[in-house]
Amino acid sequence: MNYLYHLYIEFLTKYGIPKLFGDITFYVLPFCLSAAVLMLVVLFLVLFERKLLGWLTQRKGPNRVGIWGVLQTLADALKLLLKENVTPDKVDKFLFNLAPILVFIPAMTVFCIIPFSAEYTFVNTSTNVILYLVLVAFPMLSLFLGGWASNNKYALMGAARGIAQILSYEIPMTFVVLSVVTLAASMNMTGITLAQYSRNGLLGWFFIPCIIGFLIMFICVLAELNRCPFDLPEAESELICGYNTEYSGMRFALFYLSEYTLLFVNSLFMSIMFFGGYLSPFGVYLSQLLFGDTHLGTVLVYFEQAFWLCLKAFMIIFVIIWIRATLPRLASFDLLKFSWTILIPLAIFNLFIAVFIKYTMGGALCGLS
Amino acid sequence: MTTTTKLKLNLGPQHPSTHGVLRLILELDGEKILSCEPDIGYLHRGMERMAEGLTYVQYLPTVDRIDYLAGFFYSELLCRTVEQALGVSLSERVKTIRVTMLELCRIASHLLWIGAFLMDLGAVSPFFYAMREREMILRYFEKLTGQRMMYNYFVFGGVRKDIDYLYDIEDIINIIPAKLNDYEKIISENPIFIQRTKNKGILEPELAINNSITGVNLRASGINYDLRNSDYLYTDIDFKPIVMSGKDSFTRYKARLEEIRESIKIVKTCITKLKKNSNFEQKLINPLTLKLPDGEFYSEIEAPRGLASVYIKSQEQDKPYRLKWRTGSYYSVNLLRKLLVGEYLNDAIAISGSLDFILPEVDK
Amino acid sequence: MNIEELKPILNNIYIEGNKICVNNNLHKTLAFLKDNYYYDMLKSITAVDIKNAIELIYNLYSTENEEEVLISVKVEKEAESVSDLYDSAIADENEIYDMFGVYFNGHENLKRLYMPENWDGYPLRKDYVQDDTRLAWNDNNDEA
Repeated sequence: MNYLYHLYIEFLTKYGIPKLFGDITFYVLPFCLSAAVLMLVVLFLVLFERKLLGWLTQRKGPNRVGIWGVLQTLADALKLLLKENVTPDKVDKFLFNLAPILVFIPAMTVFCIIPFSAEYTFVNTSTNVILYLVLVAFPMLSLFLGGWASNNKYALMGAARGIAQILSYEIPMTFVVLSVVTLAASMNMTGITLAQYSRNGLLGWFFIPCIIGFLIMFICVLAELNRCPFDLPEAESELICGYNTEYSGMRFALFYLSEYTLLFVNSLFMSIMFFGGYLSPFGVYLSQLLFGDTHLGTVLVYFEQAFWLCLKAFMIIFVIIWIRATLPRLASFDLLKFSWTILIPLAIFNLFIAVFIKYTMGGALCGLS
Repeated sequence: MTTTTKLKLNLGPQHPSTHGVLRLILELDGEKILSCEPDIGYLHRGMERMAEGLTYVQYLPTVDRIDYLAGFFYSELLCRTVEQALGVSLSERVKTIRVTMLELCRIASHLLWIGAFLMDLGAVSPFFYAMREREMILRYFEKLTGQRMMYNYFVFGGVRKDIDYLYDIEDIINIIPAKLNDYEKIISENPIFIQRTKNKGILEPELAINNSITGVNLRASGINYDLRNSDYLYTDIDFKPIVMSGKDSFTRYKARLEEIRESIKIVKTCITKLKKNSNFEQKLINPLTLKLPDGEFYSEIEAPRGLASVYIKSQEQDKPYRLKWRTGSYYSVNLLRKLLVGEYLNDAIAISGSLDFILPEVDK
Repeated sequence: MNIEELKPILNNIYIEGNKICVNNNLHKTLAFLKDNYYYDMLKSITAVDIKNAIELIYNLYSTENEEEVLISVKVEKEAESVSDLYDSAIADENEIYDMFGVYFNGHENLKRLYMPENWDGYPLRKDYVQDDTRLAWNDNNDEA
C-alpha cells in the first residue's frame, strides 16, 4: 500500500494540493473504488447465476435485455429503484428502515479487507481474519432485525431460523479458520496467502492438509449465505420469502445485493484460506514468465494476482450454484442436528490434525514463517 | 416466568406451495403444528349448480375445468354416464382412443406432480425436467384436439375425431421411460430427498380408508383398490395396479413413478391395437334431442388424484335435475386436519405436497 | 351382503331401487354395517332436493369384501351426523350444510364452506332465490 500512497501524494503535490487532503482522501478512495467495483461484480454475479441456473435446468436464462441478457440485472435494479417503497402500517418503522442498511454496510466493508494482490489490500490489519469473521456474521443479525421489525409471522420465523442457523454454523467455521491460522502462523489474510506459497504451485495450498476443514467450511458458508440446501430462512415454499417478506423496492434491492456481495466475499475468503489466495497455481506468475523483471511485468503481476483470486472465487461460486440446481432443501431440525453432532466434532478433529502437522513439520510446509 | 402462547399462522390462500388457493389455518408451537384447519372455497365456480341450468351438451365443455390437469377424466365421466343412461355402447377403436388419451393425461398429471412436489422440497431443476416431458404430451394433445388443457375431445357417444399422429405418441412412450430413469438417479437416490420423505407423513391404511382417500395415496398405503380393474374401458387391457406398502411420502412418490411406467405400458398396448384396427365408427348422440330418462345414474373412474364419480338425477329433461361430483382431492385436503398435527412446518409442506391435491377439484 | 338379512335386525327399513332407505335410524344402520359388514369407507354423501325433503344418499364401500351399498335417508332440516364413524363425513356434511342447509346434529364444526359467512340461502336447494335482495350486494332497489 505504501507504494500506492506515495504515488498518490506525488500526484497531488504536482498540482499543488496540500498533503493533508491526500492523507484524508487516500483512505476514503479505496472504499469508493471498492463500492464501484463490487457493484459491477454483483451485477455480473446475478446474471452469472441466472444464466447458469438456466443452463442447468434446460432453459435459456435472461436473453432479452442486451446481447446475451447482459443488461438484465441492470434493468431489474432500475425497476426495483423505481418501485414504491412500501412500509406496512404496523411495522417498527425505525428498525424496518434500518435493517437493510445494517445488512448492506458490513457486506460492503468486508470487501475492503480482502487482499486482492500483494499491493492491493484496502485496509490491512494484523488480525483481519477475525475482523472478517465478525463482519460476515453481522448481516445475519441485521436480517433478524428486519424480520423482527416486519411484524410478520413468516418473516419472524425466517429470522428465527436464520439465527439458529448462524449460531450453529459459526462455531465449526471458526474452528476451521483456527486450524488454517495455526498452519499459517498468521492472522492476516496476506500472511495466510503467503504461507501457502511453494515452488510447486498448488501443492503448497492448505486444502491438502485441511481437506476436511475445507469441506466443513464450504458447508458452513452455504449455511451462512442461506444458500440451497440450507436456504431455510428464506425457504420460498414454506415461508414465502422468510425475513424479507415485507420488503419491497430499494430496501429489497439492498438485501438482494448484499446477499450476492456476501456470496462473492465468502468465496474470496475460502480461496484465500485454502486455495492460496492470489497465488498462481503454477508456482510462478505467467506475466513474470512472459515479461521477466521488466516494469510491465511487475505491474501485470498485480493484475494477474487479482485474476487468479477471482477465478478461484468464481469456481467456488459455480459449485455453489450447481448445488442449488441439484439439491432439495434440508429440514430445519436436521440442519441443526447435523451441525452440532457432525460438523463441530469434525472441525475440532481437523484442528488437531492442523496442530499435529504444524508441530511435526514446522516451517517445512509453510513458506514464510 | 415465561408464558408461551400459540402462534396462529395463516398459510395461504396466496402462498407459493399450497398449489392454488388453499388456505390452511395453523396453530403453531414454535414450528410444531398443533392443529390445522383447511379453509377452501376460493375457487368455487358452482359446477353443480351450473349443471342444473345447462343442457348436457352445453355442460360438457365446462367439466374439463374441474381438474385442469386431468380434464379428460371428467369429460369421460360425464360422457360415460350419459352413454350408459341411454344404453349406447362404444366401438372397440373409440374405447381404445379414450384409454390412450386418459393414460397420457394421467402421465402428464403425475409428471407435473413430481415437479411441483420437488419444488415444495426446494429443488428447482426436477420441476423443469418434468415440465419438459409433460410438454411433449401437451403438444400432442394440442395437435390432436386443438387445446393444451381444456380438450373437449370426448363427446356423447364417441370422440370428436379419429386419433392421428400416432408416431408422436410413439416418441413419447419411447422417451419418457429413459427420462424416468434419470429421475430415479437425481431424485430417488438423493439423501436429502430420502431424509425429507422417508417415514414422513405416514398414512395408515385405516386412517386413509376412514377419510375416504382413494387413488395412488391409498394404494401407497397398501390397499389394492384400483377402479381400472373393473372399468369397462380397460376390460381387455392387461395391466397391474401399483400397490406399495410404505405408507410414507416417499412411497407415494415411488408409486406415482411406477404408475407412469404402467400407464406407458397401457399406451403401448393401445397403440398396437389402434394400428391393427383402423375401423373408426361411432354413433354420436344427437345433442339437440339429448334427454336422459327418468332416474338416477352414477359412474366412477380412477382419476389421477383418486376416485372421481358423478351422480346424475334426471327427470326426463334436457338438463339434469341434480348433478353431484365426487373428487379425490376434496378428501385429501380434509385429511390434512389429521395428518399435519404434530409435524413441523417444513415437513407439513412436504406432506401436503405428497398428497397431490389440486384446488379447482376441491372447490368444484 | 343380502339386504333381506338386515330387515329383521334393523326395523323400519325398506328397499327402493338399488338403495336401502332408512327412516330415522341412520346412525344406527351405518354403525351396524360398519361393525358387522366391514363397510369401512364412506365414498361420498350425495344430497338431492326432492321438493318436500332432502334426500341424503350414503355411498358405502367395503375394501375387504369389495362391495358397495347405498343408504338413503330423507330429512327436512336436521339429520344425524355420522362424523364419529367416518372422518370423511366431516367434509361431506359440511358441504351439504353449506349447499342445502341441512343441519347435522353431532357434527363438530359446521360452517359455510364455499359461500361467505354472511350469505343467505342455500344455492343447491330448489327454492334458492337468485340475486337475493336480502344480500347487500344484490340490492337492486336503490336505483333512485
